[in-house]
Amino acid sequence: MATSFTAPKLSSPTFQTLCRNLPVFVPIPNTLYSVSRHHQRHHHRLQLQQQRQRRLLFVVRAESNNGSEPLRHYDFDLFTIGAGSGGVRASRFAANFGASVAVCELPFSTISSETTGGVGGTCVLRGCVPKKLMVYASKYSHEFDESNGFGWKYDTEPKHDWSTLMANKNAELRRLTGIYKNILGNAGVTLIEGRGKIVDPHTVDVDGKLYTARHILISVGGRPFIPDIPGSEYAIDSDAALDLPSKPEKIAIVGGGYIALEFAGIFNGLQSEVHVFIRQKKVLRGFDEEIRDFVGEQVSLRGIKFHIEESPQAIVKSADGSLSLKTNKGTIKGFSHIMFATGRRPNTKNLGLESVGVKMSSNGSIEVDEYSRTTVPSIWAVGDATDRINLTPVALMEGGALAKTIFQNEPTKPDYRAVPSAVFSQPPIGQVGLTEEQAMKDYGDIDVYTANFRPLKATLSGLPDRVFMKLIVCVKTNKVLGLHMCGDDSAEITQGYAVAIKAGLTKADFDATVGIHPTSAEEFVTMRTPTRKIRQGPESEGKMGHEAKAAAGV
Amino acid sequence: MARKMLDDGELSQTNQEESQYDFDLFVIGAGSGGVRAARFSANYRAKVGICELPFHPISSEVIGGVGGTCVIRGCVPKKILVYGATFGGEIEDARNYGWEVNEKLDFNWKKLLQKKTDEIMRLNGIYKRLLSNAGVKLLEGEGKIVGPNAVQVTQLDGTNMSYSAKHILIATGSRAHRLSIPGQELAITSDEALSLDDLPKHAVVFGGGYIAVEFASICRGLGATVDLIYRKELPLRGFDDEMREVVARNMEVRGINLHPQTNLTELIKTDNGIKVITDRGEELVADVVLFATGRLPNSKRLNLEAVGVELDKTGAVKVDEYSRTNNPSIWAVGDVTNQMNLTPVALMEGTCFAKTLFGGESSKPDYSNIPCAVFCIPPLSVVGLSEEQAIEQANGDVLVFTSSFNPMKNTISGRQEKTVMKLVVDAETDKVHGASMCGPDAPEIMQGIAVALKCGATKAQFDSTVGIHPSAAEEFVTMRSVSRRITAGGKPKTNL
Repeated sequence: MATSFTAPKLSSPTFQTLCRNLPVFVPIPNTLYSVSRHHQRHHHRLQLQQQRQRRLLFVVRAESNNGSEPLRHYDFDLFTIGAGSGGVRASRFAANFGASVAVCELPFSTISSETTGGVGGTCVLRGCVPKKLMVYASKYSHEFDESNGFGWKYDTEPKHDWSTLMANKNAELRRLTGIYKNILGNAGVTLIEGRGKIVDPHTVDVDGKLYTARHILISVGGRPFIPDIPGSEYAIDSDAALDLPSKPEKIAIVGGGYIALEFAGIFNGLQSEVHVFIRQKKVLRGFDEEIRDFVGEQVSLRGIKFHIEESPQAIVKSADGSLSLKTNKGTIKGFSHIMFATGRRPNTKNLGLESVGVKMSSNGSIEVDEYSRTTVPSIWAVGDATDRINLTPVALMEGGALAKTIFQNEPTKPDYRAVPSAVFSQPPIGQVGLTEEQAMKDYGDIDVYTANFRPLKATLSGLPDRVFMKLIVCVKTNKVLGLHMCGDDSAEITQGYAVAIKAGLTKADFDATVGIHPTSAEEFVTMRTPTRKIRQGPESEGKMGHEAKAAAGV
Repeated sequence: MARKMLDDGELSQTNQEESQYDFDLFVIGAGSGGVRAARFSANYRAKVGICELPFHPISSEVIGGVGGTCVIRGCVPKKILVYGATFGGEIEDARNYGWEVNEKLDFNWKKLLQKKTDEIMRLNGIYKRLLSNAGVKLLEGEGKIVGPNAVQVTQLDGTNMSYSAKHILIATGSRAHRLSIPGQELAITSDEALSLDDLPKHAVVFGGGYIAVEFASICRGLGATVDLIYRKELPLRGFDDEMREVVARNMEVRGINLHPQTNLTELIKTDNGIKVITDRGEELVADVVLFATGRLPNSKRLNLEAVGVELDKTGAVKVDEYSRTNNPSIWAVGDVTNQMNLTPVALMEGTCFAKTLFGGESSKPDYSNIPCAVFCIPPLSVVGLSEEQAIEQANGDVLVFTSSFNPMKNTISGRQEKTVMKLVVDAETDKVHGASMCGPDAPEIMQGIAVALKCGATKAQFDSTVGIHPSAAEEFVTMRSVSRRITAGGKPKTNL
């Protein structure tokens, strides 16, 4: 099946007609919908496809006018529910391609709920942006320490004023939500404030008012999830953690994923006492094992206390207002805050999805095909609501591809290969491609190059900061399969390499590139000797490609 | 012969054959290129000797040190001072993030200088160990070529030692060049600037090259008043014009006084400091005047005339594509050849040299798409062609993609400084011919982009790469609309 990647059918007039004139039944080659790199989902896809064909057939009988353009008039060509990264991108691009577009979004609030959201979505209001601003703020305490080694002295230790940061951060968020609104307005997209609910395959209800649309896009994103344990009402999630009225004196963070690690760094830098509780032995499940070890070590050196293999069982509030966290190993008292970073769930409840027959998985994510189409042909979904790779740039890619597919006669699949990502822990992580473990499984014979060094800055600052870098190379093809880094500037450094890895470049190509001296990044082009050579025989040469979601681990 | 050595592995026999020489290779100068060539040759089992002048931070005809310019008087100490100076701006930026920092900060120059010296001493030691671990014989003294296969090393005490070698490699690097104007002896060069006893209160930097802008940024970041005087309209000749403007603007906004199209005419010693007179009639009084007016190859005292090694008019040793001089047993790499005077280029030349001579594999250094960085604050980094070069070399249309944005950090810090990025693309082939960036982390970001460019990546390949959010670097893969297209014919700039 995977061979149909190369099949020339995608640009055929038949398919273009299909896209333009939906809903019209056209016999679709089996391969088209069953193309799947996601091996384990393959069987499921086939079922979807069969359902889809039945549905298309049904629609044709109901609405078709002998196979020509249906006569029905709609208020909009596209109605998007949710103005976050994916929704705004799809709406803008669709409008640029000439479609009439409306998007609805909940009223602005820094904390999301069933009734609050805001234009910009998670990324701008409760995710990437405020998080990164907090990372900038918190990094200064480390920079002050570093600067001491470079001759800078502070008569009194720099102190942090929480309210200044919150005020300036929120002013910036309001500015950004305004910019997003302008972007939509300038593109000619109609913005409707309110909660959108799907009534039928072509109708959306926003707080009682009905809108019809040829296509409906669901881009409602996800929300933090807190497990139901006694006292969980005292816990905060990442939404609240980004907008606390005062500095936490002592905070417990439950979870070992990227969100937990990022917030641990933020609060530690802003001079809170930070305890992280993880179920497993290590943080960042799904990441390269060596990176997991390295980042755990570096983060601990900066003063974060880890409680490994410890699961929360209850939260108790004492008379003095402080919180205790009871775990399988005991009780720790005296927390001013307990934050749960225990995963996120798609915002797909009460959207009317069940009633129109949009299929969802057990965790509530919307099932879509490779073109982001749900089981209802006029309804599409992108971003975290589909729980594919939950990253802003992926939602942007999906939104952009969707607009092209529907409104530009150019069926476009988002490409999930070599999607880079970063964890803004302190120090940060950047990665693209496969982990060593995945590469071994998929390719068998690999060479692993690593560097673990004290950067120039640390030799002067005297701090125990180190940098770890890793390249994973396929022995058979010499292609660089994966690149991982933990240390200053990892996120910035990884982006350029992601272009190289996406382009399928080889280790020889890396070696042929001259370094920029003195940088950390030059280490990636000066790795001459493999740290280890892993040989496992010929069996699993990577015909199947890989599961990108696991690679990103987020 | 060395190739034969590798091929048939008859080591003892070939060693005997070569015993007519003390060394298979003798290297003069233990900087980046020389050390690399010596070590790699030794790894190919050549018998290698290397000589270097005694260590001191300030170089002269008789002073140098293992590690060379890069380690002792260039990249490394410079970058250390840049780190130190960058904190100045960082601390200012911290305030709007809620940090309460004393209005007046104390900066201890002597402490930074001491730690810098400690670090370069440490690296000097590491380089020495690298050589000895590789089995290279290190000799201290000044090397001269006395014959196609003969080197004389003058030791500190004046004793001359003679060595014979099958091949000689000149890797003596370069030194800062002083302008000859009245009072020039009052000025310093970058060597001394990296080792000043006191932080200047008012520095006048003369020059428009990367060394000038780096030192101007360092002094300014550490709190000095800085005047930067240069002859052209913009600093950094040879770089992309638009990026040159960005660098100039950033320096100005950070408080450096720019004096474009200006020449120095005279320096006069006064009680208040050095009086600096320009050809525009300006008079400045400074405690430090830095000449960053170019560097010249260290080729004068090598006795090259005796063996007929050709030099160009700047004194650079002329070499062929394999780094061989017109004398077949004498070779040269690094700044002394004045090709691209960058450490990683000298390393590449040294590596290729060892491979060619002792690794059994003829190997030419490849000068295409070499990235480089200017560590002004914020830094500039480029790879491939500038817009001007691309237009000049293009057969068809050239597409220019630019992005100028306020970095996220500045939205709260309030710093008024844009990051600017640029991709220059061949309209017909879609190949990215050049990338440049001026903004925080530019050199770190550019390295990966350089791998892509080196391998002929297309704009479509950039576009198909997913961004890392939120980063500055992601702008390079999200440049959707072309800023301008320069047509092949008259090549006028049209704003699309």
